Amino acid sequence: MTFVVVEECIKCKHTECVEVCPVDCFHEGPNFLVIDPDECIDCGICEPECPVDAIYSEDDLPERQHKFIALNEELSAVWPVITEKKPAPDDADQWQGIPGKLQYLER
Amino acid sequence: MLEQTLSIQPLKAKDFASDQDVRWCPGCGDYSILKALQKALAESGARRESTVVVSGIGCSSRLPYYLSTFGFHTIHGRAPAVATGIKIANPALDVWVVTGDGDCLSIGGNHALHALRRNINLNILLFNNEIYGLTKGQYSPTSAVGTRSSTSPKGSSEQPVKPCSFALGAGAGFIARSEATDQKRLPEILQRAKEHEGAAFVEILQNCIIFNDQAFDRFTASSVAADRQLFVRHGEPMLFGKAANMGVRMNQSTLKLEAFDLNDGVAGEKDVLLHDENNKFLAMLLMEMSYEVGFPMVFGVLYCNRDARYELDRHLTKEPDWQGLEQLFKGKSSWQV
Repeated sequence: MTFVVVEECIKCKHTECVEVCPVDCFHEGPNFLVIDPDECIDCGICEPECPVDAIYSEDDLPERQHKFIALNEELSAVWPVITEKKPAPDDADQWQGIPGKLQYLER
Repeated sequence: MLEQTLSIQPLKAKDFASDQDVRWCPGCGDYSILKALQKALAESGARRESTVVVSGIGCSSRLPYYLSTFGFHTIHGRAPAVATGIKIANPALDVWVVTGDGDCLSIGGNHALHALRRNINLNILLFNNEIYGLTKGQYSPTSAVGTRSSTSPKGSSEQPVKPCSFALGAGAGFIARSEATDQKRLPEILQRAKEHEGAAFVEILQNCIIFNDQAFDRFTASSVAADRQLFVRHGEPMLFGKAANMGVRMNQSTLKLEAFDLNDGVAGEKDVLLHDENNKFLAMLLMEMSYEVGFPMVFGVLYCNRDARYELDRHLTKEPDWQGLEQLFKGKSSWQV
């Protein structure tokens, strides 16, 4: 099992989660965060920290978000680790809850 | 004659996870140890059917439920005694003991001492969070002086037990220390403990996020870890610091270890000690080093005495004159040997 960052994070990228992770398993891309499934210890502390509910346990992942399991694994291998909180994008609130954001994912 | 070949597939870390929901507090260091142990079991080629994990009481001791191996959640402090029995009854089993600072060093100090002294081939993992977590935050035998808790509201005044020094004094042949969240090196240390023939003791510093949060931050926080931690490997120089510019040397006149900067001109790289995990005297000095007395905190395999063989089976080779429990009760009170 691992925790997975899903579509809600795209273009919102709040970073409260990265500060609480005890094993520094978050990786940062241009407009999205991912969790390294090999590093995640399944402790669950990040899940309630996310203000846009973008973190799920792999076991509770909604069907439509299943593709994010592979995406987290793939992108965590290439993106750098992020351990310190930083300001969210200026327009983060405008993008909150907007469906179909996967098309805007920057790699 | 029909010949069948039984193919045994190598197991992955996930294969050692059970179907139970893991119930520790979110952010607990125990999750990290569980994952490291699953990795170590997979990488060492362990089999579920020949592995037993025995625990006492405490947050740490929930761990056997979360592994797909055999497990035994026993009584407070007595896990080493139960594990000893398991090992004697079936020496082919790979037996792990999971315990905490309260379970192992408070109520179970006596049992831990004797399991180590007898050099039973067990792997004892001490989850040290320097607090009683399951009972909601009383100070433990390893709590630092000054720890404020519900039972020490003005700060504890007692000297803490140093688990590695305790194990060395008790006679353990393998002693290591790790940080719970070190997912790179903890599995490696656990594998070494498994391979060791005899009592192996691993102190794992584990953060209790609820009752003793940040207890180890002074040397584990990512901003200071490189400068305040020394990871030792057998035969390698004891260097630490962001630029590996700090070394540890022996002061020949005081017989004490000293940490020094290689660039300050007082001493050079040739003075840096090489780690010798067979050297008990050096192990003792390393175990006593701490950030508070001007040293880095030392991690890795601190002591490994390969000559201390597991001898228990030697005493068990004779077939006992065993006629059953009933006969024992009804029998005489003396025996001829």
